[in-house]
Amino acid sequence: MTVLNNRVSCVAAACAFFTTSAFAEDPTLTNPAISAVLDGYYQNTERPMAERGEGFGLGHTEIAMSANIDDMFYGKLTAVIEMHDGETELGLEEAFIQTLAMPWGFSIRAGRFLSDVGYLNNQHVHTDAFSDRPAAYRAFLGSHYFDDGVRVNYVAPTDLYWTMGLEGFKGDSMRAAGGEHDEHEGHSDHAEREYKNIGVYTAYTKIGGDIGNGSWQAGLSYMRNENGRMVEGEHEDHAALAAGHEGHDHSHSATFTGENTYIADFVYKWAPNGNYKYQHLTVSGEYFRVTDFAPLEDGHDHDHDHDSADSVDDMQGWYLSSVYQFSPNWSAGVRYGETDVQELHGDHFDAQKLKETEVSLAWHHSHFSTVRLQYTNQKGTNYFGIEDDNVLTLQYVMTLGAHGAHQF
Amino acid sequence: MRINSKLVKSAIAAIVVSYSSIASAELNIFACEPEYASLAKELAPNARIYSATTAMQDPHQVQARPSLIAKMRQADIAVCAGADLEVGWLPMLQMKSSNAKVRSTDQGLFYAAEQVETIDQLKSVDRSMGDVHAKGNPHLHFSPERMLKVAQALTVKLTAVDPDSKADYESALADFSLRWTAAIPVWEKKAAPLRGKKVIAYHSSFKYLFNWVGIEQVADLEPKPGLPPSSSHLASLLTRTEAGDVMAIIVASYQDERGANWLGERANLPVQVLPMSVGGNDQSQDLFSLYDSVLDLLLSVKAS
Repeated sequence: MTVLNNRVSCVAAACAFFTTSAFAEDPTLTNPAISAVLDGYYQNTERPMAERGEGFGLGHTEIAMSANIDDMFYGKLTAVIEMHDGETELGLEEAFIQTLAMPWGFSIRAGRFLSDVGYLNNQHVHTDAFSDRPAAYRAFLGSHYFDDGVRVNYVAPTDLYWTMGLEGFKGDSMRAAGGEHDEHEGHSDHAEREYKNIGVYTAYTKIGGDIGNGSWQAGLSYMRNENGRMVEGEHEDHAALAAGHEGHDHSHSATFTGENTYIADFVYKWAPNGNYKYQHLTVSGEYFRVTDFAPLEDGHDHDHDHDSADSVDDMQGWYLSSVYQFSPNWSAGVRYGETDVQELHGDHFDAQKLKETEVSLAWHHSHFSTVRLQYTNQKGTNYFGIEDDNVLTLQYVMTLGAHGAHQF
Repeated sequence: MRINSKLVKSAIAAIVVSYSSIASAELNIFACEPEYASLAKELAPNARIYSATTAMQDPHQVQARPSLIAKMRQADIAVCAGADLEVGWLPMLQMKSSNAKVRSTDQGLFYAAEQVETIDQLKSVDRSMGDVHAKGNPHLHFSPERMLKVAQALTVKLTAVDPDSKADYESALADFSLRWTAAIPVWEKKAAPLRGKKVIAYHSSFKYLFNWVGIEQVADLEPKPGLPPSSSHLASLLTRTEAGDVMAIIVASYQDERGANWLGERANLPVQVLPMSVGGNDQSQDLFSLYDSVLDLLLSVKAS
């Protein structure tokens, strides 16, 4: 009993009031689910736009509390502690309420939460089979996009799973770079820039079902970013932020933004007899297309009215990944992805390309502990100077406490 | 129900029309495990019943997959074992399906384990103990007396959700109770030769069955609940079998047979796979034939 009490106080002193009952499996008002995720790693070099740096480090260390607030509301709080350049950052990744008792398949979520666009974005990063999100996520969503806002979701009463939702967010982390300059008087060249309060709107739909012993889900998402257009002349800051080697100020902001982002995603999971206990296979992929990123000049779109930046391709990114858990203790994954982006240099765009091939091998002593070895080969064309780079990551991810279930 | 489908119809008529005409005609029951789908079928034969898992799937490890969300979205009642068996996936289904009717046991949610006294309850639970349940062993469907109590409580729940069919549910319960209570002494007589036998089994899946028929589970293939059999643990079990008193190694239909086969070969013991639930083998078509099949299989091991 004392051991349990000590652990609780380690997780969060405030939670010690709940003593051992905090470890019971179903959360209630007086008995919330409290969990912590410990994530540590060693990495020989850096991936661009990634959260993990070189050498030893702590990754996504999170503390979460969740419970039904009453018969109408559910609440969850997830704090993330990260170390960067010797500094400890405390961030709130989730702090939301969700309705539980709305009729007709509707629900509303409000506060800070992970957007439901794409497949991976609403999953916590510690559930991933790889140590970092695919490059397309890192480029266009800042690894994982969470924000302050509101969501309305609807689930149709059909045998084929069908859900749709609308979200509105503040969008700070999705603003095209250059925003800081508003506060600095000296930068007159884009001091006129004004951001909209509600920066991001999304709409998504997902369908899914079973085929034999497998299950599938496919989704389409659209994200409107009111503040997504780049600003001319800001490219140095932009590139410095993105390249992120020396003096990198760790940021969850999207590196490449545009006004419109379209995402198509699918996932297929299979297990023998549908029994996930011993073996299962997951195949997933996503495709991103980002358009309308060129700066507007005098209210006119570059693409049409300005000859300096004509015929610029849309930015896009995709990945395909497959993970096979071949025994309760071992899983292996492969992932390949490409990201094509445009970087603004003065009055013209430079195309950049990054290709990542990754393999990972993970050992799971139980559901709650994972040790992973991952190898990434990066090939870049003009991509922050990357030409051919090999990244090795050795990582552990372990959860303690009453951890909530994960999504499909 | 009727108001509900009318409103939905007006909202998205095209999709819902075909569905609602069927759904409003009958009760939608979402069963977490096939044994409760089977019990629901005994008590509400006209209901539309869906089982989230099969006897070939470990109910501890189920994906909260899209098809289950869709089924739960439409459910009037969810019938589950409880005692945290479904804790890894049921809360996610409840959250994602946005169906307030099956969110709380005050309404359409039903936990079998809450209707009876479970065995092996624990005062405190620590993850170093493995995947254990503080609320006791949830695999209670091999306890005939407990299942009778569960059937009675489920009838009360069905009546509360669908009061118009009260008489139907009560007569179905009376019919089931009559056949079930008549079957119990027959099973017990049949199982008499198994009394006092010792087995090694995988997990605590058949603890209620063993307690009922008087079999003793002397060891577990799992070193700790939820952990797969390790070679060092299997080696220690091999030493245990040298006493010569173990009748067989028992594995459930969803469990991996490799560890059991390894031990069976070295200890020269029969390995018997028992259906974990209805549908676990060809003979197990409902709760009655499931019990018959399990006892037949155990007796066949004893005879060999």
